[in-house]
Amino acid sequence: MIVVDKLCYRSKLRYVNAGEKFTFSMLTLLFCIVCRSCMLSLAVLLVNSTVTVGKGGIPLRTYIRLMAVPFAFLVMSTLAIIVNISKVPLDAYALPVGAFFITGSKASVLFGVRLIFTAMAAVSCLYFLSLNTTMTDIMWVLDRLHCPKIILELMLLVYRYIFVLMEAASVMLVSQKARLGNKDFKTALRSFGSMGAGLLMIAFKRSGYLYDAMESRCYDGRIRVLEEQQPAKPSEITLILLYELVLLAYTVWRRVA
Amino acid sequence: MSKKEKILLKASIVFALLLAVTPAVNAMHIMEGYLPASYCVAWGAVSIPFLAAGFITLKKRLEENRKSITLIAMAGAFIFVISSFKIPSVTGSCSHMTGTGLGAILFGPSAVSILGIIVLLFQAVLLAHGGLTTLGANTFSMAVAGPLLSFGVYKLCSRLKVNRKVSVFLAACLGDIFTYCVTSMQLALAYPSESGGVAASAVKFLGVFAPTQLPLAIIEGILTVVIVIGLESYARPELKAIGFLKEAK
Repeated sequence: MIVVDKLCYRSKLRYVNAGEKFTFSMLTLLFCIVCRSCMLSLAVLLVNSTVTVGKGGIPLRTYIRLMAVPFAFLVMSTLAIIVNISKVPLDAYALPVGAFFITGSKASVLFGVRLIFTAMAAVSCLYFLSLNTTMTDIMWVLDRLHCPKIILELMLLVYRYIFVLMEAASVMLVSQKARLGNKDFKTALRSFGSMGAGLLMIAFKRSGYLYDAMESRCYDGRIRVLEEQQPAKPSEITLILLYELVLLAYTVWRRVA
Repeated sequence: MSKKEKILLKASIVFALLLAVTPAVNAMHIMEGYLPASYCVAWGAVSIPFLAAGFITLKKRLEENRKSITLIAMAGAFIFVISSFKIPSVTGSCSHMTGTGLGAILFGPSAVSILGIIVLLFQAVLLAHGGLTTLGANTFSMAVAGPLLSFGVYKLCSRLKVNRKVSVFLAACLGDIFTYCVTSMQLALAYPSESGGVAASAVKFLGVFAPTQLPLAIIEGILTVVIVIGLESYARPELKAIGFLKEAK
């Protein structure tokens, strides 16, 4: 039901040590937003896409479609940054509207372009992590990073129950559709609302059952799951370190220069 | 047509096309990598006190009644699921609910702050709505500011003895609008306009997102009311168990 979740279980990089993947994507992400250069972003975008599609075996078309998810936000906010309304025209472009100008400076256009590259590279880092690492593995990493136990426990339960509730919700939506539940706007609103109410009721009921089931299996405030993690390979660690060092060097050089 | 008019026409056509192919308009998550590093850290730091407060309340609640862990987890899953389905919209673009207003009304703002950050993390990783670096900023606008306002409005309305449907509508709708304002402010602070600074930039961001966010807020309000009506007619015992209907009886 959730494309990313389905794909990450099929990824060929799924069994690579989760800590490695996490460090790789987080460090790269960090350098992307600290450095903010087109060159670095483009390089990161290329590397991430090649690794995710080539090594991970994620279908290219799906990958491109996924990369377009934050597109709306990107376009609208970047427009808000590079388009100004002012009384004096700026140097890049200026369209007169009445007494005002729709205008922008070269610096801001360049800035906008750089922002788009940075954001897309950052998204590719996020996808590298999420398309190649299962959620349970990410939680394993968070556990290693000493994330509070209660939060992890909640995360685990929320994650499991997302799918249960989603299935219940889509069953309801299908049956509403079959009964002309979306024939006009008003009916559609009512249908969606009653789906929400029904879903919350199911959630309440299930939470009771779930607790009883856990209690009967000796739940003592901690859910223990079997964790299997491949050990990190020295060769991969070296490769990641080298890559990050190059990024670091470039970032420092850009900052100094 | 003069040359400039032609350019203007072309630009507007391009703009219209871009908006026409807009894949999905979600409740304004700031996308991954869009904020400068210092702002990511700063917004994260601002959210920490609220998260800590939420964490303490949550812990107390679990110590009082361990059974509530599954209920709270279900609430989190519910918020995620309800925000991942397309909702009916007027403009034809597909938009999503936030669900945090409903969560705040039902479970209180402190529980929603922790649930919110979990849901936002899942949304970032599983749906690419929002991101890991912008998690702090998104948490502040969606899991702290919006729900707090929703809760405040709801409590105020029930103190003033306003009809419950009206107060639920106002709470959800205003919470959404507030989230949208806070997000615009966050973006404006990070990217002040060249002509007019932060204020002008805020106006621009508010303006750009208004056509999608304002109808969304109203629809969210209506849907929340419909959900609450549904719950009141079918799930009274459960609502009493979580303390939602206590003051009504």
